[in-house]
Amino acid sequence: MTEPTRRTSELTAYLSHELRNALACIHQFGNILVDGLAGELSGEQREYVRIMLENASKIRKVLDSALAETPDQLEESTNKIGRVSKLET
Amino acid sequence: MDSRKILIVDDNADIRLGLHLRLKANQYETFFAADASSAVAEARKHRPDLIILDLGLPAGDGFTVMERLKQIPSLAQIPIIVVSARNGLGNQKRAHEAGAKAFLQKPVNDAELLAVIRQALGEPAGTNKPTLYDQGSV
Repeated sequence: MTEPTRRTSELTAYLSHELRNALACIHQFGNILVDGLAGELSGEQREYVRIMLENASKIRKVLDSALAETPDQLEESTNKIGRVSKLET
Repeated sequence: MDSRKILIVDDNADIRLGLHLRLKANQYETFFAADASSAVAEARKHRPDLIILDLGLPAGDGFTVMERLKQIPSLAQIPIIVVSARNGLGNQKRAHEAGAKAFLQKPVNDAELLAVIRQALGEPAGTNKPTLYDQGSV
């Protein structure tokens, strides 16, 4: 494994751990609210929590997709993003 | 019938609280540990019926906890469900080889977690209402 690939792999593991834990909390407590485990919500309150959970699920899908890439693929994707950013500036 | 006892091992206090609330609502009694050493100590103290175990822990990871529990005859048979934020099939394979009954990646689906717990405890399938997230609507 090359040094940049190793660093990408470590970054991936770090991002996975931190983001999945944060998302787990959002899902856990959002569902706790929706299920009334902390008291009943009004219809409007339930709708707002539903929107929050829906968007957390979108983040999860993006994360799952990004982290399914191998370190080599991720490094290539990161480089591409870097090249596009440079072209745009 | 007495509540079944579940030890929650996770270094994230919010995750511990969230799991506690969900398990309490399903009539389980919960105990907690935030690192590898206290996980083994709490298991000795409370003799849980099941352990929910994170892999990334201070003072030794979840694999260390599984190894230590295996060496204590009175605790070696406690079913373990790994709930981890770690990536990859490698961790899943390693967890199963270490004796875990299941490996769930965070964020977990509540209905799936409860089903796995009931199966590991030999309880009949539950009838708890699935959450919005579990229904796949979000």
